[in-house]
Amino acid sequence: MAMTDYELPCERDVEQVWERLDAVGAGLADEHELTCAHCRAARESLLALREATAELVVEDDVPPALFGRIMSAVRAEVRRGSMVALPTPEPGSVEISEQAVAAVLRYAADTVDGVRARRCRVRPGTRGGVGGVVEVELTLAVSLRNVTGGEALALVRERVTAAAAARVGLTLAKLDLLVDDLFEEDTVEEDTVGETGE
Amino acid sequence: MTTAATPLDDATLVARAKDGDVRAYEQLVLRYQGPIFRLAVKMLAHRGDAEDVVQEVFLNAWRKLGQLGEDAAFVGWLYRATTNRCLNAIRARKPQADVDLDTAESPRSDLQPERAAQVSGQLAALNAALAQLTPEQRACWLLREVHGRSYEEIGEVVGANATAVRGRIARARAQLAEVMKPWR
Repeated sequence: MAMTDYELPCERDVEQVWERLDAVGAGLADEHELTCAHCRAARESLLALREATAELVVEDDVPPALFGRIMSAVRAEVRRGSMVALPTPEPGSVEISEQAVAAVLRYAADTVDGVRARRCRVRPGTRGGVGGVVEVELTLAVSLRNVTGGEALALVRERVTAAAAARVGLTLAKLDLLVDDLFEEDTVEEDTVGETGE
Repeated sequence: MTTAATPLDDATLVARAKDGDVRAYEQLVLRYQGPIFRLAVKMLAHRGDAEDVVQEVFLNAWRKLGQLGEDAAFVGWLYRATTNRCLNAIRARKPQADVDLDTAESPRSDLQPERAAQVSGQLAALNAALAQLTPEQRACWLLREVHGRSYEEIGEVVGANATAVRGRIARARAQLAEVMKPWR
């Protein structure tokens, strides 16, 4: 399988040597590999490359100021979303952004063990004109430990409803819970790339 | 924003960021700025240019988050955007780059990598050799060997099929190994 034009004088290809690197290292060399000087030299170069690559992976430190630069650019473009009216006995109106409400509700859902709130849509409730009533659709990821029984979801419903009332002053006319994913605990690291993170 | 010590998965953070949750996006930036910066530095061989690219990538990703179909695909999206921006930046440096990408050499003296952090001669040799690859070859090799991306994904980034990508990486590897220690 000569994928490259990098053929050794012994007619083996460098890529072939690369693919056999671990096998040969483990003592599984064939007759040719044991004796061929060209293959041995190529193996040494490839091993040197592999070592240098491992150093390369960790070589460059991220500039400390980069994170701040990125986030101030992002914050300059924060999407505030629509506003929801809050009930008030005073003249004039009080409004809160749907985003702020969503953050409170997500936080309440997160307090339930094995539940991670994902998207949270907050819409003004159907009682036209009356402030303080909203409809909420909350998307969740649930731990595999929780899939049996609806206790966790019942608890989410309870805490989200309570938080809406106690922390924002909103009544939920409707709360739709959508479980759109399951997760296993402690598998997060596998999602990240094959190198050391920050 | 969680009681558990376990960091949240990408899909959860992306879903929240789509709702405008800046704190969730912050977690994603912290998680991926390192690998993305390292890719850009190796592509461009210039820390300042790399910083600019990384900032643009994350800002643009925030703007376009709503267009991302699959929340878990975020990291692949970042790699694609970063590679493309780096390739564009290199083309902008060198307007006449309309040549065969697989065979042409790019002997550019100003692509010499920065040496400050180099701790070994091997690493120095590798950095110098990387600068001799074509930008596309360099992208393929880095995405595979340093960042562990799949051949299919790399193919989507550089507009080639997985077999062509394998070929490019094999050639890049052979060229790099040759510099590490000549066997002829």
